[in-house]
Amino acid sequence: MTDLRDPRKTFGEALVAVGEKNDRVVALSADSSSGSGMSPFHDRFPERHFEFGIMEQGIAGISAGMASTGKIPFFVAIAPFVTSRPFEMVRNDMGYMRQNVKVVGRCGGMTYADLGPTHQSLEDVAIVRTIPGFTVVNPGCPIEIVKATHAITDHVGPVYMRLGGPKMPVLFDEDYDFQLGKGVTMQDGKDVTLVGTGTVLSKAHAAAAILEKKGISVRLINIHTIKPLDKELLIKAARETKAIVTVEEHYIAGGLGSAIAEVLVEVCPVRMKMIGVDDQFASNGPYEELLGLYGLQAEQIAETVEAFLA
Amino acid sequence: MQTLSEDDKRFLERKALAARKNVLRLITAGGAGHVGGALSIIDTITALYFKVMRVDPQNPQDPNRDRFILSAGHKCLAIYSVLAEAGFFQKDLLDTYGQINSKLPGHPDMHKIPGVESNTGALGHGLSIGVGMALGLAMDKRADGPKVYVAMGDGELAEGSNWEAAAAASHHKLDNLMVFADRNGLQISGDTVDVMSYEPLEDRWAAFGWSVRTIDGHDMHTIVETITSMPFEKGKPSCVILNTIKAKGLSFAEGKASYHYWKATPEELEMARKDLAAIEERLAQ
Repeated sequence: MTDLRDPRKTFGEALVAVGEKNDRVVALSADSSSGSGMSPFHDRFPERHFEFGIMEQGIAGISAGMASTGKIPFFVAIAPFVTSRPFEMVRNDMGYMRQNVKVVGRCGGMTYADLGPTHQSLEDVAIVRTIPGFTVVNPGCPIEIVKATHAITDHVGPVYMRLGGPKMPVLFDEDYDFQLGKGVTMQDGKDVTLVGTGTVLSKAHAAAAILEKKGISVRLINIHTIKPLDKELLIKAARETKAIVTVEEHYIAGGLGSAIAEVLVEVCPVRMKMIGVDDQFASNGPYEELLGLYGLQAEQIAETVEAFLA
Repeated sequence: MQTLSEDDKRFLERKALAARKNVLRLITAGGAGHVGGALSIIDTITALYFKVMRVDPQNPQDPNRDRFILSAGHKCLAIYSVLAEAGFFQKDLLDTYGQINSKLPGHPDMHKIPGVESNTGALGHGLSIGVGMALGLAMDKRADGPKVYVAMGDGELAEGSNWEAAAAASHHKLDNLMVFADRNGLQISGDTVDVMSYEPLEDRWAAFGWSVRTIDGHDMHTIVETITSMPFEKGKPSCVILNTIKAKGLSFAEGKASYHYWKATPEELEMARKDLAAIEERLAQ
């Protein structure tokens, strides 16, 4: 039986844990605490939880100001509302000012499948990773969410962490060694490297299993930190497998695949295929079906890889 | 509330004159700059650094310092001039304005120069940052905790993000926060009320839960008395509306929107020097 866990609840519990360890951690809510899993933090540390209502531009700047006084603000809301809406504040007040703010975009990608593109976020990784000094983290399993929450609290500097919404399968053990900026080889292989991240890491993982059954040797890499990118691991994979396929619940423009291509095209150009959403606003409907519209289900990923290698 | 003696008043006026001379030095070095707004707010900034704020040029990162944010970052000539006068950095640096990699860019960068608290320039950011600082400092519950001052342009007030921050400040009862709305009445395209009216300005701030006073932004006596009355009301952030004159001190430029950004000719620089010399003569009497 697959162990499925709610990413927001998982994050919320982790936030309480880092709050216990570090009294400088504060939570900032844009009328989004309960939806972001921050109710337990609010209940445990009411004096360190601040509600502002729906004003994400304001909160982005407020977070930076609080960070300048030594606090470690977590600014958490629906992904587009903490990234594309207040982008200039994220860029200038956190990035340019180098402030120690942790921006967490929950229900990223197409989580709000039925609500449509206003609430979906398929460009957040692309835009935030252009900001110098920002770290961009995209955990792919509940265990990773917990480890990442601790790691970004300890890391000094602005961070964007992207979370999904639907329950996620557990892919790693509790003692899994998570390090910011270090990719994880989940399975070795020689015919192709499949690189997954975030909400669809589990789909890439399942696709790798399908391909193995068909006799295709897949190296599966989890890139939970898109910036800074684990260049060494990816260059090695490119050299050894000669083909890379990336899988992300994000626009192809500017996401994980782009980030990897930017490195490989200069150092070790190999054939690449990027699986994600192409140049369109995504549609609406049930989440799993929506993933299927853009080729992000495991069987589809496996078929794409097979066709790519043929 | 602090009442200025005549000597103190004269001291601050001399400091403001020295700061205006520094502005001229910057413009002479760089050839151009946003002089209009810099000279409308410079008296208040002078009063802050030389009479009001708890700051130490030798220890600019003291956690217990008061903070000043120049939200209208294009008025950086004013903050550079006052910081230099207060000894945060050597005045020689003023002569690098406009040079490649100068530590004094056209909008302030906190990582390039001591004393600058935030990177402003894009309008509508400073008040949110100030609210965050005020909130963070208030959390520490220090007796006589630091205060936060934010200077905004009147044209800047059209940015909606300001009003998010204004609401947050009163909601969270930040009475350690003061805003200066520099009502010089002009922005780059003309009269601010014609471009996008903010009037009735006092009522707007009051409606957002702030305690508001309007003063002459060039009168040191009133400026110091008003700032040191903070908070105007317990549990409320304080707003000072400064009635000011754009490019104050330069006779040929005062009250003209065209001097929002000044590309100085040699003749104008000479006129400016004479204007400041006349002020000096008056202050010497």
